[in-house]
Amino acid sequence: MAKKLIEAENISKYYRLGVLGSRSLKEDLKHWWAGNLKKSLEPTDPESKRDIWALRDINFFVQQGEVLGLIGKNGAGKSTLLKIISRITLPTTGRISGNGRIASLLEVGTGFHGELTGRENIYLNGNIMGMKKKEIDRKFDEIIEFSGVSRFLDTPVKRYSSGMYVRLAFSVAAHLDPEILVIDEVLAVGDAEFQQKSMTKIKSISREEGKTILFVSHNIQTIRNVCNRALVLDMGKIVALGDTESVLASYAKLSRDQLLDNDFSQQAVLPGNDNIRIIRVELIPKYLNQFQVIDIRTDLSIRFEFIYQSKEAGDLMVILQVFKNSGELIFELASADYNFKNGRVKGESAIPGNFLNDGLYYISLAFVKNSSTRLFYYESCLSFDVEDYKDSDSNYGKWSGIVRPAFPLNLTQEH
Amino acid sequence: MEKNADWQWEISSHRPWFRLNLRELFNYKDLIFRFVRRDIIASYQQTILGPIWVFLQPLFSTFVYFIIFSRVAKISTDGIPPFLFYLPGTIIWSYFADCVNATMNTFQINAYIFNKVYFPRIIVPLSTILFHSFRISIQLLLFLVVCSVYAFKGNPVHLSWQVLLVPILIILTACFALGGGLIISVLTAKYRDLDNMTQFLLRLFMFAAPVVYPASLIPLKYKFLFWLNPLTPVIEIFRSSFFKSHPLPIPYLLLSFLTTFIILTTGIVLFNKREIQIMDVI
Repeated sequence: MAKKLIEAENISKYYRLGVLGSRSLKEDLKHWWAGNLKKSLEPTDPESKRDIWALRDINFFVQQGEVLGLIGKNGAGKSTLLKIISRITLPTTGRISGNGRIASLLEVGTGFHGELTGRENIYLNGNIMGMKKKEIDRKFDEIIEFSGVSRFLDTPVKRYSSGMYVRLAFSVAAHLDPEILVIDEVLAVGDAEFQQKSMTKIKSISREEGKTILFVSHNIQTIRNVCNRALVLDMGKIVALGDTESVLASYAKLSRDQLLDNDFSQQAVLPGNDNIRIIRVELIPKYLNQFQVIDIRTDLSIRFEFIYQSKEAGDLMVILQVFKNSGELIFELASADYNFKNGRVKGESAIPGNFLNDGLYYISLAFVKNSSTRLFYYESCLSFDVEDYKDSDSNYGKWSGIVRPAFPLNLTQEH
Repeated sequence: MEKNADWQWEISSHRPWFRLNLRELFNYKDLIFRFVRRDIIASYQQTILGPIWVFLQPLFSTFVYFIIFSRVAKISTDGIPPFLFYLPGTIIWSYFADCVNATMNTFQINAYIFNKVYFPRIIVPLSTILFHSFRISIQLLLFLVVCSVYAFKGNPVHLSWQVLLVPILIILTACFALGGGLIISVLTAKYRDLDNMTQFLLRLFMFAAPVVYPASLIPLKYKFLFWLNPLTPVIEIFRSSFFKSHPLPIPYLLLSFLTTFIILTTGIVLFNKREIQIMDVI
């Protein structure tokens, strides 16, 4: 069995949130007076929003030469764990032991100074990341070549474009030479070409140079491409740990708190009002992988059923609206007006794959009578998460645009 | 499963009270000098006069003190030409004040780095002190030039052997400033109220040191308290070594060594104990 380079035992991290002020001073004094820090760590009020456990009883190890992926949603505790391993913050309890030099890439270009030239900043950033001057001297040419900004080496970096800045910064980071590398999702920067280059570099660091890497991402594809083991965090706890494929499967289950199915048929009171009562709304993805994750290629169909009770006759129309998580309306679909009789009505719609961009979406339904009176608005009745899909050769990074249709764009060579 | 008996490093919530890892510090020596270099380059970017500002700052203050305290208030300068009297006091005082100011704000100013990368945090204050030491060295050269001009014109300048103590006096000032700054930095990190207070106290503190008046003006009953301030022997010995050749106030000098040692040790211990936890409350 390979040698363990990092071992974490019972790591927990407790944060006190809220504004620092006279109240926190009072508490501090009380704790200090009580002289019992251990006791004071427990939130005095369990419902209190001011205290959270960002991590709870984390145990894991990293072996030499492996790439361990850390996945989890925002706020799951990924960054906190990275910060503890990087010795930026202390754990509240527990211990991490390790062998070898760690370099943390929680950000590219840490400490870059705008007034200094590119050359000076390479040295500054390298020294901050723990490299010695001689080491940087040795790798200097390589760093410049990789960054592709050699022409601007003696220009202050404040005159750089943000793309050049990131290139230079990542190049320094890529030439660190620690035994253990801790990488946050800093790669989601720069243009697509450079991201691809960075990702290839990371892969080669792990495969060819045999480096041990701890890699944080919330993108399943990236984790699958790079990591041989993975760890899923949720609400500060480890929910899965093991080889990448099996862990990703359980991550998919975790992310199913998206609302795909609203079935009220067993309920006594149906949501709605006197005119409309909702029986069921569901989104049915046609999954393309065994993890049952909706990605940008997945066809989605939407089905709903409701009871229509109108006192006077009139035409009914249903409008289906798809919103981005940010509240931006992406598009709406309207059914044809039709004079339905009172009773059950079924509806069906579909969003084809290769249309939506990746991201979080929600769907609302509006029930409109005679094209003018809104009978009922069922807000965000469905929500779902569209994952990016990348085959290993394609670019990394966010595809721009509101939608991402696979319309044809073909080139032909003319003779 | 193989059990690694000995680990090279360990992270836990426990931080011992005394932990000064000199070997680790030595490993980061390149970073210390890199920060000094950064500060030197950055401080004169986009200025027309550039490095000349190092000279102009003490000259301006000296001129202002000369007008206010010598011409208007007519405070004695112990028989030393007023300009020569104020210049060293100003240089040493601003060195001290700059060092304290930079050190006490270590966490606030560098939070953006401290939140992303680990290195021994003490490197930042150390490099700031070195940066200001570089400046004071240049300023002291200026003082020598001004001195020789005065001497050439027939003013009394008597160099004594005490001049050899000047480097020690500067180091003493640096240690005092570093220790004080570290203590303040730890205390003010969480509650900024103290920050406002220290700014104010630091300004007052200038008048507790013989910057704009000679120590001989202090009434006898306050003498001990006055000399307890490590800056008093520093400035007084500096002046005396150039102009007066007073006998060396050995007991007071030793006392200020002791005071400085206590303050510096307290500062380093506190800083080492708290350097990581503080980042959670910045």
